[in-house]
Amino acid sequence: MAALLETRDLTKRFGGLIATGGVDLTIEPGEIRGLIGPNGAGKTTLVNLISGLYPPDGGDIRLAGQSLAGLKPHEVARRGLVRSFQVSKLFGNMSLRENLLLPALAQSGNADFVAAQEQATRFLDLTRLAPLADAPAKTLSGGQRALLQVAAGFMAPALKCYLLDEPFAGINPTIKDAIIELIEEENRRGITFIIVSHEMAVVRRLCRRVTVLVEGRVAAEGTLDEVAARGDVLAAYLGRGFA
Amino acid sequence: MFSIELLIQTLIAGVIIGVLYALMALGITFIYSIVKMINWSMGEFYMIGGYLQYLLIVEWLGADLWWVAVPLSALGVFLIGYLLEPVLIKPMFTTAVERKDDYAIVVTIALLLMLRNLAAALGGPYQRTPGSNLPTVMLGPLPESGARFAAFLCALAAIALFYLLLKKTWLGLALRAAAQSRIGAQTAGVDLFRLDQIAFGIGVGLAGLAGALLAPVFMVFPTSGVVTTVKGFEIIVIGGLGSIPGALIAGVLLGVVESLGASFIAAPYQNVYGFLLVVLVLLARPTGLFGERVRQA
Repeated sequence: MAALLETRDLTKRFGGLIATGGVDLTIEPGEIRGLIGPNGAGKTTLVNLISGLYPPDGGDIRLAGQSLAGLKPHEVARRGLVRSFQVSKLFGNMSLRENLLLPALAQSGNADFVAAQEQATRFLDLTRLAPLADAPAKTLSGGQRALLQVAAGFMAPALKCYLLDEPFAGINPTIKDAIIELIEEENRRGITFIIVSHEMAVVRRLCRRVTVLVEGRVAAEGTLDEVAARGDVLAAYLGRGFA
Repeated sequence: MFSIELLIQTLIAGVIIGVLYALMALGITFIYSIVKMINWSMGEFYMIGGYLQYLLIVEWLGADLWWVAVPLSALGVFLIGYLLEPVLIKPMFTTAVERKDDYAIVVTIALLLMLRNLAAALGGPYQRTPGSNLPTVMLGPLPESGARFAAFLCALAAIALFYLLLKKTWLGLALRAAAQSRIGAQTAGVDLFRLDQIAFGIGVGLAGLAGALLAPVFMVFPTSGVVTTVKGFEIIVIGGLGSIPGALIAGVLLGVVESLGASFIAAPYQNVYGFLLVVLVLLARPTGLFGERVRQA
């Protein structure tokens, strides 16, 4: 099967620091891939590179065969690759419904306004946030904000691949389950996911394969049990003396 | 001599001029909200709006069609801003310079000098007025200049349209999103550089509209935007940088305070009352009446 998302020799340097050093990644269509690694491994840098926030210093990123390297974040989003942020970038003074409508309307203008409204209503119902639809997003709890942010990404009309950066960090189990259900539901509809997370129980539940990043490079790839059994991965997490 | 009639007349005059000043402040704060840059050449776009109004009325349309000239002047200034932004402002944000917004601000100061001198070179230093045929309006027993009252009504209509644009269109949704989080808007699919271009055009268009509306009230000349720009920045300080309701309320407040001071204390010091208001607001609330404290250190 042809890969949906591929990176080849993807590199990013910040001065003398190599944050991402020649990363090769191949994600199949419909896959939910976990991206794990210790703090400072370069996971968020990789997400920023793929989503266009950072221009790469070398290598290529291809989505469904088309290169994304050098594209601006809005151009990447319009090609169907959307991301969420660890610290949510919701628009606090806009209502929940408006937060959901933005990704849809940013790409279609008013042309698909009715369809976008219906889609927003669907996600408000799915997330059980419908009673708060017209409230400003800044009134939500941290967990509700995370849930809304994940749901907003699904509003992108051409969505093919969704990069979720720590979507489960610091939120309660009920909302965590709601986000997991949302991911599973949209995955059944054909959306591909890359999930950056430190929550191994969730990674185990959602991701058949994981990629381990260590010091900006791919250290291991396989099932969570396979990579967890590797000494070099344990050493990266725990330090050489403990592995 | 104090009288209720004079008080009411003064308040009305203050509200009218305050709303017109608020148009200018709205333009400044709107551009800042989206592009995150202070445009110091706003007064020159106000001046261009005044010249366009003058040219349209004197050369082509006549004073009776002032209401056609006003939107055409504002549209003309919008187009000038829309075309200048990608040439002068955008490169400051896309090229590899540090402190991009500082460079962009310097570019707007250069633009100020260029436009002001261009106006002097093309039109000379003369003070011009398109004139007005509008009769004096009676507000109850109180007379008010027809041109000033018409300008006030047009400014209110423009503010209402601006509000509808922001609240009821997808462009307004994108503009409000970009004002809160540029990265969030960009990763949602909003083309920020295109949005900056539109926001710059709308912002200077509001200044141009104020210039066109006030052309028959004040004179049009190369530095005619200076006073209004100063008022605009005073309003921003009073209302809070980046706050659109703040710009409107502070505009009216400034107009009323200046009018009351001029009527009941001493007219020559009209501008001083506005500055005193600025100082009082800064002492009581340094972020302005509706501003939010964002910088922590």
